[in-house]
Amino acid sequence: MNLPSGYSAKVYVWLNERLPLDAVKEYLSKKTVPQHKHSMWYYFGGLTLFFFVVQLVTGILLSLYYKPTPEHAYESVKLIITQVEYGWLIRSLHSWSANLMIAMLFIHMFSAFLMKAYRKPRELMWVTGVLLLFLVLGFGFTGYLLPWDTMAYFATLIGTEVPKTMPLIGSYGVGLLKGGEEIGAETLTRMYSIHIIILPLLTIVIISLHVILNQVLGSSIPVGIKEARKPLTFFPNFLYRDLISWCLGFIALLTLATMYPWSIGDKADPLASAPVGIKPEWYFLPLYQTLRIVPSSVVGINGELLVNGVVGLASLLWLMIPFVDFRSRKEQKSSIFTAIGILLILYLVAMIILASTT
Amino acid sequence: MAKRDEQMPATRRDFLSALIKVWGVLTVVPFGTVVTKFLSPVKDSDIVRETMKVAMVSDIAENSAKIVRFNKDPVIIVHTMGGQFKAFSARCTHLGCVVQFKGDEGLPHFDCNCHGSQFDMNGKNIAGPAPRPLLPLKVTIEESSVLVTKV
Repeated sequence: MNLPSGYSAKVYVWLNERLPLDAVKEYLSKKTVPQHKHSMWYYFGGLTLFFFVVQLVTGILLSLYYKPTPEHAYESVKLIITQVEYGWLIRSLHSWSANLMIAMLFIHMFSAFLMKAYRKPRELMWVTGVLLLFLVLGFGFTGYLLPWDTMAYFATLIGTEVPKTMPLIGSYGVGLLKGGEEIGAETLTRMYSIHIIILPLLTIVIISLHVILNQVLGSSIPVGIKEARKPLTFFPNFLYRDLISWCLGFIALLTLATMYPWSIGDKADPLASAPVGIKPEWYFLPLYQTLRIVPSSVVGINGELLVNGVVGLASLLWLMIPFVDFRSRKEQKSSIFTAIGILLILYLVAMIILASTT
Repeated sequence: MAKRDEQMPATRRDFLSALIKVWGVLTVVPFGTVVTKFLSPVKDSDIVRETMKVAMVSDIAENSAKIVRFNKDPVIIVHTMGGQFKAFSARCTHLGCVVQFKGDEGLPHFDCNCHGSQFDMNGKNIAGPAPRPLLPLKVTIEESSVLVTKV
């Protein structure tokens, strides 16, 4: 490994006397990333992280102009996209990178699932990853209300009604989220606080854990897959490849943000009927479509309660996958869990298509 | 004596450890209660009115509807083809979206655009996932004004 020279060498030496830089460099130079026919899936975690960084930067910029009150929220977003220099671009980058981050996270998660990357000793990598999925969906939900347009208003109205059917905690939890009986000023400030303070803090802590675990444990090789080539050293070879994928991701993001700038609907009016064709963002479409399909009562059980119960149990099971896939724990092929993963992907895709076309 | 000295630090540590645990519980429990209470929504102090004047008769043409605020809730007032006025809570009984009056598509009815529920002119749920009829309200006409009363 090359040592830095000149002025930067002096800085390095100074820092190295105070921080274990040599030890970190030594560690990174020994860390390798396996190379096989499924290696391309390793890049999606890094891409998710990249879009999260874009979220942080653009989110901080937007917060300089955004005003979280029902009287000013809509107008402040309008000001950002019409008056503030490059405001439209920053807002568009924020919205598009949110969608791309969730898309990359889904790809990363399902590829890890199908490659059974959660096998011992990487169980906690999976658990932290699924927790990040919940947090990211939380970002999507809380951020959606902030522009205070019609779509945002009704999406939040529905989203906060759904958990009400949950026994014991449902109504209390919804009260905590809404801050009152209806969607109003208290809801907006609570969503804003959750969106810009609570979720980012939690996410940064869990991302750090996830990345540290990845550095310590390395990337998993799927069961029965032989390494095709010599493993790639993480620093600098894999990191450079990661950076190339980030460049491509940024180009895609810039293209989407400039070619299809994120728009804003009409200002939310609690006395207006829900507009025709109202639908949530694509990542909530499977839940939306399921709620549409399930009748109000199924064998005497309230439809929403049933959906809540099934989604809640499925989420818990998803979190616990490494501990219930016994075959993978023994380094054996686990076709049942592969089938579960494929069926889940098919269900989500089918529900998204169905909800988008009907 | 030496044996007793060896035990002393452990005893002191045990005591301090127990003290810290007690302090932890005494701090976390009351503070947790304070935070929980702080997060609970403030009780609405607005006066809830039983009857409210919500519109003028001339505001709502025949076979049309108007959504108005009754206390804090949206209420849909319909002027039927037969000249009758009806009022229902505009909140869909499925997930609370505000319903829409459809007077020009077949039989007059209410649509919820969120998940496709439908209600007839008596507020009865006739299609979609809505589990209950729309909540009815009493309408009275006084000197060209539409008054709505809780049932």
